[in-house]
Amino acid sequence: MQTLYVSQQNCYVCLQKETLIIKQGENIYGEVQLPLLEQILIFGSSQVTTQVIRACLLRDIPIGYLSRMGYCYGRILPISRGYRQLSRYQQQLSPIEKLITARAIVRGKLKNSRVLLRRQRQKRESEVLEKVLLTLDYLAEQAAQAETCERLMGFEGAGAAQYFNAFSECLTNTDFVFSGRSRRPPGNPVNAMLSFGYQVLWNHLLALIELQGLDPYYACLHQAHDGHAALASDLIEEFRAPLVDSLVMWLINRKMVNAESDFEFNNGGCYLNDSGRKKFLKAFLQRMTEDIKIDNGEKQPKWDILNQQVRAFKQFVYNHSHSYQPYRID
Amino acid sequence: MFLYVIAYDIPCDKRRKKVADLLEGYGQRVQYSVFECQLTTDKYQDLRRRLRKKLKLTEDSLRFYPLSRHTLSQVESWGVGPSVIEPPSSIII
Repeated sequence: MQTLYVSQQNCYVCLQKETLIIKQGENIYGEVQLPLLEQILIFGSSQVTTQVIRACLLRDIPIGYLSRMGYCYGRILPISRGYRQLSRYQQQLSPIEKLITARAIVRGKLKNSRVLLRRQRQKRESEVLEKVLLTLDYLAEQAAQAETCERLMGFEGAGAAQYFNAFSECLTNTDFVFSGRSRRPPGNPVNAMLSFGYQVLWNHLLALIELQGLDPYYACLHQAHDGHAALASDLIEEFRAPLVDSLVMWLINRKMVNAESDFEFNNGGCYLNDSGRKKFLKAFLQRMTEDIKIDNGEKQPKWDILNQQVRAFKQFVYNHSHSYQPYRID
Repeated sequence: MFLYVIAYDIPCDKRRKKVADLLEGYGQRVQYSVFECQLTTDKYQDLRRRLRKKLKLTEDSLRFYPLSRHTLSQVESWGVGPSVIEPPSSIII
């Protein structure tokens, strides 16, 4: 997935033949070959010319507009994407089929969170960690049998609270203090990074969901309300721990980010600033392009896993007897 | 993903410019009328389709040489000019 991220502020993106030029005043920050791009994400207040927008619409390249911290305001999509045959099948999913899928998703999320912590246990002894590992295991089993979506959400919430408790144990860099998850707004640098990471990943998933012709507004676990793209929220669950949390942990413990100079405080929240955003995106991208081994022994970049899961969901929508299997690490 | 070497001979200045401009978007110019492009099958088909519209086959000549990953590592480049092209990757600005 080749993406152009414009994280600098006040840039100006214009088109010159087949090339996008990103500049600020007379300063040229970069030139990008438009035909090779798959999506463009604009963070904050950079400008995109109508010529660029038109070229992107013609080539089926979505442009996402996000806040500087990664919250997605909306996207520009070609009109042909509006025709959604698949969504009719999505709407026909029965409550029980949805529940079974939602169970699998929550279970997958709890299991992956558990694996991340289990790997940390090999590096340090901690009673909290031991306890949380047991709890997560128990909750994952409970989630697999939950009878309603409300109960399922309950297990998920309980799991997340426990998990983040143990997560703070795994942060060895004392510059970063983390006592639990806070969002809207994120209260400290660790939460700022988690929120930013989830948003970036969420947007990528949303783009892939749209590319595959699925309707992002029909999901199994999350309620679609007021135009919330619930399917992206469903599919992100299994990836939070392996793709974002582990990256945040690595950036902090390896002292790749600086608690002072990479963050800014405004409106009562803590956010990544220009340098922090760039560092985070760079590390995120590097991870996503790394090859990993898949089941049949072949190697592929991590990006493809996202695509694979979206395809797996599509398979399930086409044919309900194929139950949806979340991505698992071990 | 293959490396495609694309070479052309186009007598008409206007058409040659258009073809070169299009190829600039997909790869890099390594000699006056030779381009190297690392493309997925989809992007390659896309490029072919768009090139076809710009050509006049009674006068122009275009050649596409796909190189597999196996032989890619053995590509040599002598003298002046850019090095062998890298696969495209995401960009952060």
